[in-house]
Amino acid sequence: MKSSTSLGSLWDTWGITAILVLLLAVAPVLTPDFFSLDNAQSVLRESAYLGIVAAGMTFAVASGAFDLSVGGQLALCSVVSLIGFAAGGTALAIVAALATGLACGLLNASLITRLSVPPFVATLGTLFVFRGVSYILTQDGPKTLPYDQIGSPFVKIGGLNVAGVPVPFVIMVGVFAAAWLLLRRTATGRRVLAYGSSPEAARFCGISATRLRLFVFALVGVSVGIATLTYITRVWTADGSAQDGFELKVIAAVVLGGTSLKGGKATLIGTFSAVLLISVLNDMLVSEGVPSAYQRIVLGGVLIVALTIDGLRTRFAAPGSLRRAISGGRTPQPGPAR
Amino acid sequence: MTAVLRRSPLLLPLLGTVLVLAVATDSFLAGANIENVLVAAAIVALPGLAMTFCLAMGEFDLSIGSTVSLAGVVCCSAIIAGQPAPVAMGIALAVGAAIGLANGLVITKLGVTPFIATLATLVIVRGLSLAYSDGHDQIVSSAALKYLVGGRPLGVPMPIVLAVVATAAGWWAMNRTRFGRWVCAIGSNREAARVSGLPVDRVRIAVYVLVGVAGAGWGLLISSQLQKGNGQLGMGFELDAITVVVIGGTALLGGRASIVGTVLGAVLIETIRNGLNLLNTPPAYQRISVGLLLIAALAIKGIRRAEARTMPVPAPEAAR
Repeated sequence: MKSSTSLGSLWDTWGITAILVLLLAVAPVLTPDFFSLDNAQSVLRESAYLGIVAAGMTFAVASGAFDLSVGGQLALCSVVSLIGFAAGGTALAIVAALATGLACGLLNASLITRLSVPPFVATLGTLFVFRGVSYILTQDGPKTLPYDQIGSPFVKIGGLNVAGVPVPFVIMVGVFAAAWLLLRRTATGRRVLAYGSSPEAARFCGISATRLRLFVFALVGVSVGIATLTYITRVWTADGSAQDGFELKVIAAVVLGGTSLKGGKATLIGTFSAVLLISVLNDMLVSEGVPSAYQRIVLGGVLIVALTIDGLRTRFAAPGSLRRAISGGRTPQPGPAR
Repeated sequence: MTAVLRRSPLLLPLLGTVLVLAVATDSFLAGANIENVLVAAAIVALPGLAMTFCLAMGEFDLSIGSTVSLAGVVCCSAIIAGQPAPVAMGIALAVGAAIGLANGLVITKLGVTPFIATLATLVIVRGLSLAYSDGHDQIVSSAALKYLVGGRPLGVPMPIVLAVVATAAGWWAMNRTRFGRWVCAIGSNREAARVSGLPVDRVRIAVYVLVGVAGAGWGLLISSQLQKGNGQLGMGFELDAITVVVIGGTALLGGRASIVGTVLGAVLIETIRNGLNLLNTPPAYQRISVGLLLIAALAIKGIRRAEARTMPVPAPEAAR
């Protein structure tokens, strides 16, 4: 892509990374033990489940939709996975998490394509449904990982390190690498972007909207399934209210990274950096002893500032450059981008 | 009759639900129970009415649940500090207006998408509310505050009185004033509205202020019910408010709004919740049924639209 050399496009991909690097540069000044092994490990460990789901969500947002049900999916996957662990050990726990995520994603996609419910409402509805089912499954108390099973490999996923790097973070990096290949090196990835920038045009080019939706929402579901494995092996317990408000955090990370909510444009590097930025900021605020109430205020403020910069840039960019950016300089689309 | 049903498609499911509950339970049709349902519906209809304007513009306000909490906290702590209740309520409503104004300015002047801007204020306002209340309940006993939910002018519960007045005002503003037409025009095509010379930014800001004030009013009603303010109140309420509007038939992408639909949506949801309570269904099933109801409402509409497309002579659809 030739057009990606302009300053604006550079900012799209690397802007949030630049902010992250800046923050890391000042972090040791503000928090002396920021780069201690313990602290660095805990930041990376903590970022994993948010990051893995955000990688999947980047595809949904790039296709012009978003999935509000991921919080409910995470709760349901966790509960089902722990039930699976109790019934059949490690293998069943992993299969149960992934299968539940996939099923949730396929259900969302079918509601959207078969019943033509808009993604916003379909996934808002299934958010209630998934949480509700999780509550029913945990009616006799939250599901927990039994402490006497501490020797089993599954229980260790969240706490293990490989050469000093936390395993959840390794999984997250792997997921992002796979997602990058999928988005940038396969026809499917190009179809997702094409559909996001103009569903009509994509349909005329022979892209099946039904199959695309199925793929994107299944991908989100599976990413939640994978994230579940790093999540429950950290917190060891799950019920219906697990990770309340998770969906908003995930979407915030994706958008903060520079993926356009209007669809057609995606940056996984941006999502990755945004996830780390959120985790680092969180960690700094915690270790500075900032009360959690004020942490929320700071995080919200950062979100607004980042998006303001983005909004101003889009507004003052030369007319046409936005359209070029969306189409990747290949197929100019006349008409309003709604 | 068919004309009424076509204009308010929610009437049929509502009547069906009422019929089922009347048969399945002994106590649903009792006067006190019907009143409970209507009071609950009135409380959620009030913010729903304001949110109808927001959705009609093709936008969302996700921050309303946090406004509910902050308004309650501000009002209760003002009463504790010795302010008379009406003054405390006024301050709370002003705080709601300020949140709405902040949303509107960030969205229109800084160009941040409404979804993200109000998501950020959702987090910030929740933080303010937790910080201000320090995580503690602010318990008050104020007759004036209690009157908001418990009062009965002419024997009618106060929330119902408020909701009827707000519905009438909302219907008038949406269907009989320039403001309502502008809101729908912005929702169906913002650029066209701007080019036609409508004060697009000012209308958008006004709608966010309206939602902010309604959110604060919602907070006062909740605090009046519980006789306390708390930083944790109102979590997830934003989805309730949006659900009521969407079930009521307001177009999600803007351009069309149904005030009566929003009120019927509130009544339908609260009827179902009440019925499930009477049938001793655990809260988990209530969530599931609200979710299913939301999907069903939109699915029926989607199917109907798909059928309309295949009809030989397309009916001229308003403004879309």
